[in-house]
Amino acid sequence: MSATASIEGRAFGDHLLLALVILLSIVMIAPVLWVIGLSLKDNTELMADPNSVFHAPYTLKNYINTVGTSSVFIWVRNSIIVSGGLTLGTLILSSLAGYGFARLNFPGRDVLFVIVLFGLAVPEQAVLVARHQIFSMLKFHNTYQGLILPGLSAPFGVFLMTQYFKAIPKELDEAAMLDNASRLRIFWKVLLPLTLPAQATLGIFTFLGAWNDYFWPLISATRKDMFTLTVGMASTQTNFAQSEGIGFLMAQAVFAGAPILIVYLFFQKYIVTAVSGAAVR
Amino acid sequence: MTADIEIRNVSKQFGAMTVLDHLSLSIRAREFIVFLGPSGCGKSTLLRMIAGLEAVDSGEIAINNERIDHLPPGKRGIAMVFQSYALYPHMTVRDNMAFGLANIGVPGKVIEARINEAARILEMPHLLDRKPGQLSGGQRQRVAIGRAIVKEPKAFLFDEPLSNLDAALRTRTRIELAQLHQRLQSTMIFVTHDQVEAMTLADRIVVMNNRKIDQIGTPMEIYERPATKFVAGFVGAPAMNFVDATLDRSGKNATARFADGISVQTEIASSQLTDDNYTFGIRSEDVRIVAAGQGNADGVVDVLERLGERTLIYARLGDGQQIVGSDAGNSRVAVGDRIGLAFDGQKSHLFNETGRAWHAREA
Repeated sequence: MSATASIEGRAFGDHLLLALVILLSIVMIAPVLWVIGLSLKDNTELMADPNSVFHAPYTLKNYINTVGTSSVFIWVRNSIIVSGGLTLGTLILSSLAGYGFARLNFPGRDVLFVIVLFGLAVPEQAVLVARHQIFSMLKFHNTYQGLILPGLSAPFGVFLMTQYFKAIPKELDEAAMLDNASRLRIFWKVLLPLTLPAQATLGIFTFLGAWNDYFWPLISATRKDMFTLTVGMASTQTNFAQSEGIGFLMAQAVFAGAPILIVYLFFQKYIVTAVSGAAVR
Repeated sequence: MTADIEIRNVSKQFGAMTVLDHLSLSIRAREFIVFLGPSGCGKSTLLRMIAGLEAVDSGEIAINNERIDHLPPGKRGIAMVFQSYALYPHMTVRDNMAFGLANIGVPGKVIEARINEAARILEMPHLLDRKPGQLSGGQRQRVAIGRAIVKEPKAFLFDEPLSNLDAALRTRTRIELAQLHQRLQSTMIFVTHDQVEAMTLADRIVVMNNRKIDQIGTPMEIYERPATKFVAGFVGAPAMNFVDATLDRSGKNATARFADGISVQTEIASSQLTDDNYTFGIRSEDVRIVAAGQGNADGVVDVLERLGERTLIYARLGDGQQIVGSDAGNSRVAVGDRIGLAFDGQKSHLFNETGRAWHAREA
């Protein structure tokens, strides 16, 4: 009797949880559907009645206009180059630094590690003026290196990779040493492949962070052709009166969101693992 | 390929702690040597120094008369099987075995031939394309041994390789290792704290204790004529019985007298002994169970351990000391019985304060 009650109780709990999940999913997906809906409506119709999104007629005119006139593709390209370059650079540097901190004995290692970690506590705003000045002197503004370089100082990445390398048993290094492998070969062929879950976690977070970054690109990229997606989109939205209308802006937004959606589709397993923290064990 | 290994006056420190203290040892070609000792005695450190995974602070290590202690691990011509197996988890068994050979530029066809031969010897051709995560503990162990075999090393080093296996698999693998040694005729050094592994596998056992070697000898030498009290207590299950004794050295052979007046005539020459106070030692199988009043001492049975072929009897003497004796497998003795204990004086041992041992003259 009590067992039946327990099962019924569990079933009720499951149903409640399911209802909550569905509700939250609707809350999350509604703005996306709203954007897509708006992008498929004629601008004049939307001006007259924003609720027209709920009924026909729908049109692809905004998408055709976006392809023909918008700079969104240039901004997407810039964002891909910046986010991709930053992600690749961060993975390379963090892996090498993490290996060094985890496996090499050199004077001042522990102090240096603490200094690197201290970087986590320094807000970007605190170094902004100095960085701006330096980049001006180096003529790095409005260049890809200007957008990529600041993000390469990634204390979190170094910390994550250091901890991950530390968790790999040293016997593997020793077995490889007995197998006559050089230090570089041990790093490349034995240890690095084992850090793939951590690389995926770090790569995803770095890519998403760079893709969504607005603050530094707003300062460094002042030419329209060097805008990243976030800065470019903001520039059109803040100038709404002179834009092609809300349907056009939403079509831009759909184009802007597509690459990151594709990234998500390919890496969703890793993203879920990364967010749940299960990859870092 | 096989190797003489010479360890000369080797020392090792970790910070202020000395883990090996001026240790010397000669290992003959094709010999199966076991380093036996308790945790922390330095046996694994010594093995790792031979492998090149720990630096030698002072002293020399030579293989076939060539010093190797300055060479990196991969250049010493030795292979090691780790306690954790240390297989590369992302590589297949085949790639695990090929990795070391590829690193020294062995041609692909030779690598393939060696892998196939090792897989045949270890009966694991069907495992070659699996990854370590898809293997059982025993199979991983085989792969680790296979990875060592394909290198055709001068010597094999084993760092407690059986300790992660269950009891049945451990026994089976022990036998397979002995067969492998006979087949390969290679020098093998095996580290363990398990005296059964040491006794069953070794040509010679090196018993280590407290940073140094206590005794080197064949398993039966170690068992029958332990050099120190530590060796006597560490090797053999149950441990040797120890009883404090004073000696009567008036006769040709010494007589040991215990605190409650019991005396045992030993076969140890009085002329060898200089003090009066020693520890008397005797193994359980040399203590026969007889009727009360018929032996050297009487005791009351505390515990019985029936092992099948014999029964171990833990008896308490009048002064409270416990002595383990041995009786037939179908012994009728019961807990609480009063029994007699007959010590075989010919098999008894004496140990002085420093632990040094004296035994009966060899027959």
